[in-house]
Amino acid sequence: MSAKTRYFVIVSLLVMGVGLGTGLVAYYVGFPATAFFSKNGPEELRYMPSTATVVGAVEVREIMASDLRQRLKDKFGSDAQDNSRRQFQELTGINFETDIERIVACFDSHSSADNTALVLARGTFDATKIEALMREHGAEVQDYRGKRLILATKLFPEDTADHALNNDSNDTDVQPRKLPAHNTNMALTFIEPGLVAFGGRPLVEQAIDLHTGGGSSAATNDDLVAHLRGLEGSNAWIVGRLDAIRERAKLPEFVANQIPPITWFTVRGQIDGGVAARITAEARDDESANQLRDVVRGFLALAKLQTSSKPEFQRFVQSLQLGGTGTTVSLAVDVPAQVFDALGAAVPKQKQ
Amino acid sequence: METPRVIPSALRVFEFSLGQMLWSRRSVFLALLVGAPIAMALGIRIIAAAHGLPVINGAGLTGPTLFGILMWLLFVRFIVPVLGVFYGTSLIADEVDDKTITYLFTRPVPRSAVLLGKYFSYLACVVLLVLPSVIVVYFLIVPIGGSIGQSFPQLAADLGMLVVGLASYGAVFSWVGARLKRPLIVGLVFAFGWESTVLLIPGYLKRLSVAYYLQALVPHAMPQDSSISSLLSAFQELPAVWVSLVCLTGITVVGLWLAGRTVEKREYVLEQ
Repeated sequence: MSAKTRYFVIVSLLVMGVGLGTGLVAYYVGFPATAFFSKNGPEELRYMPSTATVVGAVEVREIMASDLRQRLKDKFGSDAQDNSRRQFQELTGINFETDIERIVACFDSHSSADNTALVLARGTFDATKIEALMREHGAEVQDYRGKRLILATKLFPEDTADHALNNDSNDTDVQPRKLPAHNTNMALTFIEPGLVAFGGRPLVEQAIDLHTGGGSSAATNDDLVAHLRGLEGSNAWIVGRLDAIRERAKLPEFVANQIPPITWFTVRGQIDGGVAARITAEARDDESANQLRDVVRGFLALAKLQTSSKPEFQRFVQSLQLGGTGTTVSLAVDVPAQVFDALGAAVPKQKQ
Repeated sequence: METPRVIPSALRVFEFSLGQMLWSRRSVFLALLVGAPIAMALGIRIIAAAHGLPVINGAGLTGPTLFGILMWLLFVRFIVPVLGVFYGTSLIADEVDDKTITYLFTRPVPRSAVLLGKYFSYLACVVLLVLPSVIVVYFLIVPIGGSIGQSFPQLAADLGMLVVGLASYGAVFSWVGARLKRPLIVGLVFAFGWESTVLLIPGYLKRLSVAYYLQALVPHAMPQDSSISSLLSAFQELPAVWVSLVCLTGITVVGLWLAGRTVEKREYVLEQ
């Protein structure tokens, strides 16, 4: 091999090595091994407000592929689900079953906006198609800090709603429904490739601000992150402050007094062959926690009494375990797949 | 005297053929082929920096989408088959045209080792040129509104697909080159006539093409750039990735075996 050839081979291999090495580093830095749930929660928290009251996440693709989902689909039929999925796809261009990898959502009770929810969906999206479809349904596009902000200020204007829901000529069983036209302040943007933000306009704009400039976000909210640490390994979870929601809800005093004085609550779920979940609540003090435990214990006793003659529900009720110490009250439930089979057998078959 | 074994002999042929292939007249053509996408990507990068990428139906194009389009239109549909045809058919045919095949065949090495060594040098030559070109295009295009890290698995899949494609086309056309007298015309008709046509015909005929299996390995959506693409999408019935890999490996092995057998058996008559 001549020197010229040898140099060519070296340069070529060098370009490939540097290129692939850089790509590999970018891949691992951008997407840690436990991308969905690193120690401090999912990376989407960086785009959520630090004042978020409730944060939840669902690993959609994992759940859609779970044995339980397939089992439920077989047992209860899927025509209605398929129709809903098809309608959602016609409206948004997103196939819920295959396009979405996971969803992380938050609710910010401190926000002054009309719509205080923000949904971040990660997956494979056709941005062009989604934007075109939304524009077809009355959305407008504006530029915000270099990102295309799709504003659904008037969702489902009458003419487009009709079109959207009736253009499936094969679907003769589904009665045409007209969604009411109404004003919204919703916005959608593609924060980065494969990550779409949808929700109230101020929150979506804030997500763009956090993406471009960084700053204080849900990921820097130490209390929230501390509660998220206990949720590792689950594929669906919710964390929130019940006291903040109660303040926002402005409930009548006699109703508010009936609600236990809970500060933080978490719901941790693992859906695969069955469902394993744990609901945890933190009461304001030990006395409140004991009262809460008594209430739950009472409900459990009542449930056992009610289901003594219904074997299909007995296993579910027996799996409920009350626990927790100090100010923490927890209720664990482990529902194996057989319970769903029994429930499926108990439910009368739908007419074909 | 004992005849040397095929693989050591093939490696020896590979060693001198690689330099010969890299610095031949054909290299100008090869440099143009792999340089054009880089120049195009550079142009797109400059335009994007000045004016941004074009907006289609109100939505902006992104770098990863554009990279996928370039992969389909330039590499999968054009560069890979063209390289396969031009280099594959010339492995033996060039030696026949230059009347130098006698020198190779009078050496104490199996004839099939000559073909195998030349095939390996073709593969090394095109892989060493095409893959860096794809990587440079990737780094120029994808950062425009995209993420290098997020698209990296697609790049890895693209590179793997290109290597498999170049190997398969090369093997098929090395057999064509060893078997026929005017292999280039037949190769071009096969790559751009037969392959494009059978993909449009519903039924099993498409399974007799390399493109059918190769397309299943492309990690990007097929662009709807023309009526032919729309038809292709309409009749798109892609095999599973593992089926494609098995079939392409089979095509490569069978192509090389047939080419080796042809070279062993055929008497090449040199024109005076």
